[in-house]
Amino acid sequence: MSISRKQKIKKLEDIIGAIYSILIYTILYIPVFVMMAFSFNDQRYNYYWNGFTTQWYSKLFSNSAVIGSLWYSVVIAVLATVISVTIGTIGALGLKKYEFRAKKFINNMLYIPIIVPEIVMAVALLIIFMKIGVALGMGTILIGHCTFCIPYAVVTIKGRISGDGYSLEEASMDLGANRIQTFLNVTLPSIMPGVMSAAFLSFTLSIDDVVMSNMLAGAKNSTLPVLILSMNKSGVTPDVNALTTIMILVIVIAMILNNLIKYALKKRNKAEATI
Amino acid sequence: MKKIISIILTMVLIMGLFTGCGGTKTDPAVESGKAAAPSTELNIYMWQQYISDDLIAKFEKENNAKVNLSYMSDNADAITKLTAGGGQEYDLIMTCDAYMESLVDGGYVEKINFDNIPNVKNINEAYWTAKEYCVPYLMNYIYVIYNKDTSPVEIKSYNDLINPALKGQIATIDGARNLFPIALVALGYDPNSTDEKEIAEAYEWLVKYNENVVAYGNAEQNLTNGTASVAFTYDGNASWAMSELGDKNNLVIADFEKDPVQLGFDLYVVPKGAKHVDLAEKFLNYITDPEVMAANLIEYPYSCPNDAAVEAASDTYKNDPARDFDYKQNVFFQEDVGEAITIYNDYYQKLKVGE
Repeated sequence: MSISRKQKIKKLEDIIGAIYSILIYTILYIPVFVMMAFSFNDQRYNYYWNGFTTQWYSKLFSNSAVIGSLWYSVVIAVLATVISVTIGTIGALGLKKYEFRAKKFINNMLYIPIIVPEIVMAVALLIIFMKIGVALGMGTILIGHCTFCIPYAVVTIKGRISGDGYSLEEASMDLGANRIQTFLNVTLPSIMPGVMSAAFLSFTLSIDDVVMSNMLAGAKNSTLPVLILSMNKSGVTPDVNALTTIMILVIVIAMILNNLIKYALKKRNKAEATI
Repeated sequence: MKKIISIILTMVLIMGLFTGCGGTKTDPAVESGKAAAPSTELNIYMWQQYISDDLIAKFEKENNAKVNLSYMSDNADAITKLTAGGGQEYDLIMTCDAYMESLVDGGYVEKINFDNIPNVKNINEAYWTAKEYCVPYLMNYIYVIYNKDTSPVEIKSYNDLINPALKGQIATIDGARNLFPIALVALGYDPNSTDEKEIAEAYEWLVKYNENVVAYGNAEQNLTNGTASVAFTYDGNASWAMSELGDKNNLVIADFEKDPVQLGFDLYVVPKGAKHVDLAEKFLNYITDPEVMAANLIEYPYSCPNDAAVEAASDTYKNDPARDFDYKQNVFFQEDVGEAITIYNDYYQKLKVGE
């Protein structure tokens, strides 16, 4: 009796859980699906559904402005990620390992770029660049993006390594490895998960940044989010919907592949283990 | 010792970074442009979807030059860049009449040499403020249009917009200096008031207006798909909505009896330190050419201060229902409100975020 009642409650919980997740995912993804549907709409301003077309996809690849700014964004995001993760790793290790007078101060200062509104940082940087005569362009956007990516990278990596001791490094040096070998073969692999999450975080922050890029972009190129924002006055054109659809598909495919590879590796490991 | 070396190294690195970036500034094309050879590059900062791509391509071909268009998302973007000293990145910047006084006072814009721009004679002087420093491009009446079949109220004044019957019916443009003036006019004050008490009253009016608003931005879209039955928008956007509906057009311009409407100008200025002034002048002469502007008006059917271009424009443009209203003379302009802008911004934020 009591078992069946327990089962009933369990079943009810499952149903409620399922409804809840369906609701959440629907709300999250309905806009995405609407946007994807409208990339096939045969109408310039997306007022209403007018008929099926793929013309926006062909227009997308002939419209150099959107594709050009996409590459510009990607290049900046990759560079910003590499720079911030490198500096972030060095910073996090240094802040953990060494004791020095201004350590607490520097630790706290890290949070300032995170807390200060981005527009304040952006205008401040713009004024500095103009005062010292740096031409606006990819370099300035990159520096701008690094200013907010680095603190996130340091904080993420620091959080990952705070519990680790030095026994592994000491053992490695004890066995005759020099500092560089120790770093590359022992320290780096052990903090890799932290480095990777810092990299993903930096990439995401950089690629969808609007405020900083808008202020620091030069006259010749702008990043994709800035271009899309500037379309707001007259309505975003459907070729942007087409581009976003492609980007989402690429991400979905990448995630599926990632899971498949993981699954295959797991299976192989299991097979090896049983042998 | 180690510390000192590391500090010196850091400084060298930083210096290298800046000289590296600064190096791009003195490319040979720019240097020679200052001498005799014509510039081959023109950097324009303006609104997106506001000038015909074909016309730009034609200009590029005629002058053997590359035009780099970059786009702002707000008038304030251009002002921030200019006042931070970023003007020299561009050769032409689009701004609106309301900012001209401060830009001229602050010395952010160059005087324009009109000897090189003979076509400016086509521009109606009545629509030309700060004449030495700018060339008007297009202009916008900001007025009210509504769907005569679905709107529950026939709109004759701004005060009709706060009629509770219009709840969730209005699509409207945004921005403190677009919204507050209509509230001030509705209350019988100067649309460019600097009196905090009046602005506070306008805020109360806008709170009621806000309750009737269903969407900010994309007015033409919301009108044609039926989300809104009333829109407070620019004449060019109204024109799009009307032509989109074609024969089924049931949008009419509110027949204001007394209230004036805002007329705003978008104009080109040459920022201080611009590097390709010769090409900028050529471009201004090109865009004020009646034939060129008339072609531009087909794609961007806004009101135009260029009389000769309006004369040369297509019949569709001339007979556009979006410009067929009879209180065109009853207009007000956005003026510089000086320090009072902070009062506007405070109340505007309050309007947006709530108390």
